[in-house]
Amino acid sequence: MTRAGLGAVVRKELRQIGRDRRLLPMLIFAPLVQLMVFGHAVSFDIDNVDVAVCDLDDSAASRTLARRLVADGTFQPVGPLPDCTRPEQALLDGRADVAVLFPAGLERDLAAGRPVEVQVLVDGTNPTIGRFASVAAQAFLDARAAELQRERLAGLRSAQGFERPVPTLTVQSRLFYNPRMQSAIFMVPGVAAMLLLLITTVGTAMGIARERELGTLEQVMVTPLRPAELILGKVAPFVLVGLLDVVVALVVSSWMFDVPIRGSLLVVFAGTLLYLLSTVGLGLFISTVSSSQQQAFMVGFFVMMPAILLSGFMTPVENMPDWLQPIAWVNPVRYYVEVLRGALLKAAGFRDLGLQFGALAAFGTTILAASIVRFRKRLA
Amino acid sequence: MSAPGRLRRFAIRTGAVAAKEATHAVRDPRTLYLALGMPVVLLVIFGFGISFDVEDVPIAVVDQDRTPDSRALERSLTTGHEFVVAARPDDPAEVDRLFRERTVSAALVVPRGFAREWAAGRRAPVQLLVDGSDGVGAQSVLGNASAALRAEGRRRLAAETGGAAAPLAAEVRLLFNPALRSAVFFVPGLIAYILYIVGVLLTALTIAREQERGNLEQLFATPVGRLEVMLGKLLPYLALGLLQALLVLAFGMAVFEMPLRGSLGVLGLGTLLFLAGALAQGLFISSVAGSQQVATQAGALSSLLPGVLLSGFVFPVENMPLLLRALASVFPARYYVDLLRGVMLRGNGFDALWGDFLGLGVFCLAAVALATLGFRRRLA
Repeated sequence: MTRAGLGAVVRKELRQIGRDRRLLPMLIFAPLVQLMVFGHAVSFDIDNVDVAVCDLDDSAASRTLARRLVADGTFQPVGPLPDCTRPEQALLDGRADVAVLFPAGLERDLAAGRPVEVQVLVDGTNPTIGRFASVAAQAFLDARAAELQRERLAGLRSAQGFERPVPTLTVQSRLFYNPRMQSAIFMVPGVAAMLLLLITTVGTAMGIARERELGTLEQVMVTPLRPAELILGKVAPFVLVGLLDVVVALVVSSWMFDVPIRGSLLVVFAGTLLYLLSTVGLGLFISTVSSSQQQAFMVGFFVMMPAILLSGFMTPVENMPDWLQPIAWVNPVRYYVEVLRGALLKAAGFRDLGLQFGALAAFGTTILAASIVRFRKRLA
Repeated sequence: MSAPGRLRRFAIRTGAVAAKEATHAVRDPRTLYLALGMPVVLLVIFGFGISFDVEDVPIAVVDQDRTPDSRALERSLTTGHEFVVAARPDDPAEVDRLFRERTVSAALVVPRGFAREWAAGRRAPVQLLVDGSDGVGAQSVLGNASAALRAEGRRRLAAETGGAAAPLAAEVRLLFNPALRSAVFFVPGLIAYILYIVGVLLTALTIAREQERGNLEQLFATPVGRLEVMLGKLLPYLALGLLQALLVLAFGMAVFEMPLRGSLGVLGLGTLLFLAGALAQGLFISSVAGSQQVATQAGALSSLLPGVLLSGFVFPVENMPLLLRALASVFPARYYVDLLRGVMLRGNGFDALWGDFLGLGVFCLAAVALATLGFRRRLA
């Protein structure tokens, strides 16, 4: 391989990218805009669950309960239920996410020590909100129940002349790495991985498919250039663009979204290089199995969409069923998301991320080698 | 020329363009298979793969108390299927390393003297540490673990009072999706997402390709008008898109047991409007992109982003900042997701969904108009 040949191809490719007035902004600015939109749009925070209350008791006790239910801001009152006999209607109309019904005789039963059941209706359409709302409603009533129990127990003990006070179990929970649970902090690394894949894989695949479609690939092949030089020259500009995009993403995410950089940048960039090896390799491979740009595009999407959605950037990989786990095992996006989150949030080093680095390197070299072999075969 | 005559000519010319475009699509069976097969495969993979349900989460238990009481606490977490003990470090400081290596996602720390504090009737604290770098997982882990520990606290308190029933209890009922299955919530969103992306991609390259190859000049020499070209290009893909939608909806209902509680007519009309809008968006991109490479990137970005993020498919649009809510209202994905959930899960009809129909209709008309106008500018 001659350095001059490689350099010539890289220069030609860079010039071609630079000359297309629309392509370069697409490769640099589009990801930037996406990252900003993503960072702001993506939020798992459920901060207002709309609740409608139906108070059939209308006593001091039930009104206190209703007031305390919305006191901490988890539940947002949207007014009383219009029709207490058909509480589902408010959920059906989308007026409320939760309907709470305090039964008649609540105050009397509580005073008499009879158990009281409060009905809580939750819209389960969105399981995340549904689960959150039912847990929150349950926790609220549990806490009130515990309070009453404790009062009763204390009363009982003082009546019997016991000395011992009532114990409490307290749970202190602590979230590591992201104590305020800001969605952007764990989403932005995932988004960066996704954007890199989109840009470099599609770019590489389309670039080669285009030459094939226009018939210029044959012209290049009659030059003394060797296939490996041609391939490296074709992918090198996209590796550069990818690295540039990572720098932009890091700057934007730490500046706009307070994503910390706790680990070493060396780990981040080493991981990025290995990841780019995989993404351009994938693009190259796609270009060898397609005969037009449209096909390259379709095949590319067919491969990339599962790779992105099953990478663990939105939902944990461990939640996937067993028969899908093999996809997760060979998914470079998954390992890169783990590298980014590990290095940026947890200060993980090379030793902690050994598996991820190994997997990325293995995937990258395998796919690159496979596509070079296929590329040669198709030319011959 | 009489109006009916003009209309007839319009229909004939549009038909001619449509026939040409259909021939083109049929001659490329690979793209056709991809267009029909891809959505189904993606739906199955995503429908099973994307899940917020957490099970068998590996946790670490740091039991410094080593009493029957502390073991009971541990059992309260592991009796369900939610948690599995994967490590028993002696020192809480080791938890950080376990998080970095991704061995465990949470840790329960029972400090020395826990049983003594409880017996003495004081506050008996335990610690719950959660890896917050994986947002969705962390939230459910935190919720489930604290609920289990709270239940244990309540059980112990009840034991002290001699097993009396809780004075206040919640009876939670989940409507529309009682098992809180993620699939029921996600499948409508996935259907919209997949149809949207494939729809935009199908048409995004059509005009750019003709332009790249110089066929457009030949088309200009014929008496075919711009609207006729646009509609002619749209119609065959609309037929293909409807076939796709039918397949995907059928699979969604068969594989994921999606209900269809509303009317098929409402669903069909909504799907038609949505598809026409997505295809017209692709045509618009194609008419202004200039090259297939730019069209690909623009098509991918303009359908992926609104399709995943701004559609309410995963993240509720209502929680987003105003600017993003406004942006989300422009794209059709949001209306279609809302419409699908309404028709399929809640059985809503036109009266509840007219807003979605309006949004879809306006987008569709605007996209066709923009595509036609954008095409004209290239003519000059």
